[in-house]
Amino acid sequence: MNQAVSLEIRKSFAYGLRQSLTIAIGYAPVAVTFGILATQFGLTFWEAGLMSFFVFAGASQFIAIEMLHQGATIWMIGLTTLIVNIRHVLMSVSVVPFFPTRTLPWSLGLAHGLTDETFVLNTKVLKEVVQEEDRRQVMLGINLGAFASWLVFTILGGLIGRWLPIQFSGFQFALLALFIILTTTSITRKNAMTYLLAALLAVVFKLLIPGKIYLILSVALAAGIGAWWRQRGHTLSIAGKRPNDKLNK
Amino acid sequence: MPIQFLETILLMTIVTYGARVLPFLLFKGKNVHGFVRDFIELVPIALLAALVIPELVTPKGSIVVIHNPYLWAGLLTFLFARFVPNLFMGIVFGMSVFWGLDKFLH
Repeated sequence: MNQAVSLEIRKSFAYGLRQSLTIAIGYAPVAVTFGILATQFGLTFWEAGLMSFFVFAGASQFIAIEMLHQGATIWMIGLTTLIVNIRHVLMSVSVVPFFPTRTLPWSLGLAHGLTDETFVLNTKVLKEVVQEEDRRQVMLGINLGAFASWLVFTILGGLIGRWLPIQFSGFQFALLALFIILTTTSITRKNAMTYLLAALLAVVFKLLIPGKIYLILSVALAAGIGAWWRQRGHTLSIAGKRPNDKLNK
Repeated sequence: MPIQFLETILLMTIVTYGARVLPFLLFKGKNVHGFVRDFIELVPIALLAALVIPELVTPKGSIVVIHNPYLWAGLLTFLFARFVPNLFMGIVFGMSVFWGLDKFLH
């Protein structure tokens, strides 16, 4: 702590770390649940930790351990992960303008910590920070806080699952609860039709096709039809000014 | 550690980290537009629907309504989260309600 690092920069990092606290607390029960489920699906606690370290994307990790357990091929798991995590491209694209003079190590490091939750927080916080150098430190603090919580609580969950064979059916619902809570914050009037279409397609495909293919099929179809509909609405509307944000249908 | 597990993690890391890092490496601050943007923008909400609704409606492979703790716990969690916007509380609530209903409905 007594090194002669620039005080400003250290402050920015500490500020980011403090900001990450709400995420870190929110991740804890999900990560513990992931660790417990992973060991119940036959992984060791450090295999679960390894996955949390490298992948750091909750939903896809839960799906992957379930698919591993069911004996899915790695290509099927890879493809599902791609579909589940492709949204990170958009988050990344909209964070990049905060760092016009970023260096390669910063790019490689900051990218890894981008999740739904850190993205929302970073977007809110980085707007208020004037210097790019400080923004990097703040984002590093936010990402690192969230990442540390995810990793530590995964391992903790793995150890709990290993030493205490808990029979608590609530764990089966942890991931669904997380997704349902995410739904309440992401559903809007503009995407509700896509949501309903995806729900309907997913139920039908799940009943008709064995395995997890229904996920990819329903998501690709519903998002494709939704995007086509928006584009169509856009070209049909007057060929005048295009609203800058997402006002187009 | 089985090699298949390492391969799985490697592949998952490539696609996930790839999605995160490519814009950092390729974009100068421009944005994607048109169909591609709308498509990627709609993937998360479609995914939430596809991940949740089939699990709630057909937990055991066929449609169940009354004796279905998933469905009722899901609805209650949704309502709870609308009024209490707290990730931790919501998850603990969902897990507890599911546990209770699971005992009660069986």
